[in-house]
Amino acid sequence: MQIIENLKVKEKVFMGKLENGLTVMIIPKQGIQKKYILWGTNYGSNDSEFIVPGEKEITKVPDGVAHFLEHKLFEQESGRNSLDVLTEIGVEANAYTTNDHTAYLYEATDNFYEALDEFMDYVQHPYFTDQNVEKEKGIIGQEIMMYDDYPEWKVYLNAMQVMYHNFPIKIDVVGTIDSISRINKEILYKCYNTFYNPSNMVMVVAGDFEPNKMLEEIKKRLVDIKASGEIKRIYPEEPETIVKENVEQKMEVSRPLYTIGIKDIPMNKETIVKKHIAIEILLNLIFGESSELYKKLYDEGNISSAPNMDYEFSRGYSHILIAGQSNDSNLLYDSFKEQVKKVKENGIDEKDFDRIRKTIYGDYIKEYNDITNIARMFLADYLKGINSFDYIELIDTVNKEYAEQVLKEVFDENKMVLSVIKN
Amino acid sequence: MEYKVKEIKNGVKLHLIRNEKFKTNLVSVFLTTELNRENITKNSLIPAVLRRGSKNMPTQEDISTKLEEMYGASFNCGIDKRGDNQVLKFYIEAINSKFLPQDAENILDETIANLLEIVFNPLIEDNAFLKTYVEQEKVNVAQLIDGKMDNKARYAVDRCIEEMYRNKPYSLYKYGYKEDLDNIDEKSLYKYYKELLNTCKIDIFVSGIIDEQISDRICKMPEIQNLNDRNAIFNMSNLQENINNNEQIINEAMDVTQGKLVLGLNLDTKDENMQYVALVYNEILGGSANSRLFQNVREKASLAYVASSSYVKIKNNIIINCGIEIKNYDKTLKLVREQLEELKNGNFSENDIDTAKKCLVSNIKIIDDEQDTEIMYFYGQEFYKTKLDINQYIEKIQSVTKQDVLNIAQNIKIDTIYFLNDKK
Repeated sequence: MQIIENLKVKEKVFMGKLENGLTVMIIPKQGIQKKYILWGTNYGSNDSEFIVPGEKEITKVPDGVAHFLEHKLFEQESGRNSLDVLTEIGVEANAYTTNDHTAYLYEATDNFYEALDEFMDYVQHPYFTDQNVEKEKGIIGQEIMMYDDYPEWKVYLNAMQVMYHNFPIKIDVVGTIDSISRINKEILYKCYNTFYNPSNMVMVVAGDFEPNKMLEEIKKRLVDIKASGEIKRIYPEEPETIVKENVEQKMEVSRPLYTIGIKDIPMNKETIVKKHIAIEILLNLIFGESSELYKKLYDEGNISSAPNMDYEFSRGYSHILIAGQSNDSNLLYDSFKEQVKKVKENGIDEKDFDRIRKTIYGDYIKEYNDITNIARMFLADYLKGINSFDYIELIDTVNKEYAEQVLKEVFDENKMVLSVIKN
Repeated sequence: MEYKVKEIKNGVKLHLIRNEKFKTNLVSVFLTTELNRENITKNSLIPAVLRRGSKNMPTQEDISTKLEEMYGASFNCGIDKRGDNQVLKFYIEAINSKFLPQDAENILDETIANLLEIVFNPLIEDNAFLKTYVEQEKVNVAQLIDGKMDNKARYAVDRCIEEMYRNKPYSLYKYGYKEDLDNIDEKSLYKYYKELLNTCKIDIFVSGIIDEQISDRICKMPEIQNLNDRNAIFNMSNLQENINNNEQIINEAMDVTQGKLVLGLNLDTKDENMQYVALVYNEILGGSANSRLFQNVREKASLAYVASSSYVKIKNNIIINCGIEIKNYDKTLKLVREQLEELKNGNFSENDIDTAKKCLVSNIKIIDDEQDTEIMYFYGQEFYKTKLDINQYIEKIQSVTKQDVLNIAQNIKIDTIYFLNDKK
């Protein structure tokens, strides 16, 4: 295993690729009670069209299969549910699905290896029947309806709808009541066999472990499956333009929710970390709590808290999202555009830049407070081709001039959208 | 981990949590006061006004700039309801110097000083808060109050508790009431703030990589020196309160896709030790993936994605929570009743008890893996006569027997059944 160490945050990662293609990352943290494991597959809701290694034909599956699989893997041939088995030994297990990956996890204080038996068993042994697949449709149907009542989720999804013409980031991770009705056990097995090959998976373990012993324990429990060839993923052609600038939906909310989206070109693995850092600095300079724009909108009574600001990206897409609650979203949107223009014209103040860069450095360090967060970050970044430590290492190389260049390239008025939810 | 608490003035406690495993130091100040209709809205407004500016950092921009200079230290404030108390919470989290570039200064003392400055040294003009700040924050608090309905699942739980405790302090909404705002101005609010500071319980927490002398240095800070001794007015945990609504049914309609069914249960016991039994009972009922509710309402009947219960220790209530299709109301309610009945009849095993204990103990053991959770644990102990450390708390859980759980199961009553449905 290769050891990667970061002296600033004082953490280490042991990393290796096994013969069957599985990547393992072990992050030892002394003195922590909790032990956390995350097993992810490079397969999310965006991957519904692909060519199975060794086949020629394209396979296209209904929306929501990755998430459906996530629910169904817990079911065992014995009739038991692995979630229950783990709970019985005091271990809390869960799973989640994103646009680009699916992950299974548990956390334990005691019985870690006993839990590892069950955990690695159920992820490696799917058991789908017509009956257990049908049953899950009712549960997932309620999950879909639960999200329908979340205005925060709706305002985000609507922003995706107007930003993207074709790219699957615009669809809901869970699918729709209609798309999940078309899922059956054959589809689930096909997707499982394609994407749950060890060579498409990554395991991240964090906690008070001896790394080499941990690695042996993992190896012992692997079933004998050979690494598969490359899975060819097919994504629809996506123009650089947005679909339309504005979208509004009515829901019962006390105050309008807004999301501003800025569509960017698909991510480039080589430059993404530096660009990401620059964008985080820029967003804070433009709309952070010490910014002119924030003060103006606050004093006008338009907003009462700082927005959430993120740069999101993965294979084939990237965009900026700025979200919050506002009494006059159109005015806020116009003021935002104006402020962007102003900073472009006048340039960034050197002192402000240095101060915000310090802030972002602090934010990166804070990410290492909790092992759950560390493991999730390393997994998500790894699947995008990023080593998480690079953020801490590269932040000093991001200077004002580079940020100004990114500002010009990315914050393009023609690629901005505004999504609003109001009464 | 090492925890020390010291009463530095009557009614003012300094809690020091030495824990080397975090990247940050977390400092917090909690002002605890009695929950009542007269003051609830004023209390809700105070943190909002204080965070706008202090004597030495008169604008929000000054505060933000200051914190950004400290490598993105973050300030946070909020309002909580804890039993029959209202809590005004203030936090600053800052990176520990060990993880800063070598030329950076030690910022722990600065972190503490800044937080104390914001809470205890406000911006004052003519014996009043700044008028513009108070007027703007009145609008913001009004919006916060309106925001209660935005998260429908939480709204349903809040509404169920309100109905259970109708006309009692615990039914009050933590952010207060819009109609009260009109009678508050910069003068009256400042007058109340001074009164609050002289009567509330004050808890100051410092958690992280801290040295031995920190306590002395804090006590010498001017904001601390200026605090008076007080007989703090607040409520300890009270299990005596009698709420017995005998299955009142409340239906409410809103613009929702999914129905939210919430049941408020009442545990009829006055013994503090029964709280640990109740935790075990709740775990079996709806606390985990193995629980009765999850297994029967979700997994077997496929009626819900969320089907769970939680135990509100300080008020001795269990709240059951299910997100269901509206037409399945009767079916779900029947199933939920069956689960309560099953437990009442003793249809659970030693194994169930054992599983529940394991899950609870596991969650207690990780309390000190997270700074804020750890602070909240020790703060929570302030409301009980017997203060337990984490190991003692685990022992209490371990000593629960099947007979204990059965006794609780037989004394549980449904107090309120609340259903949030659509307008059709």
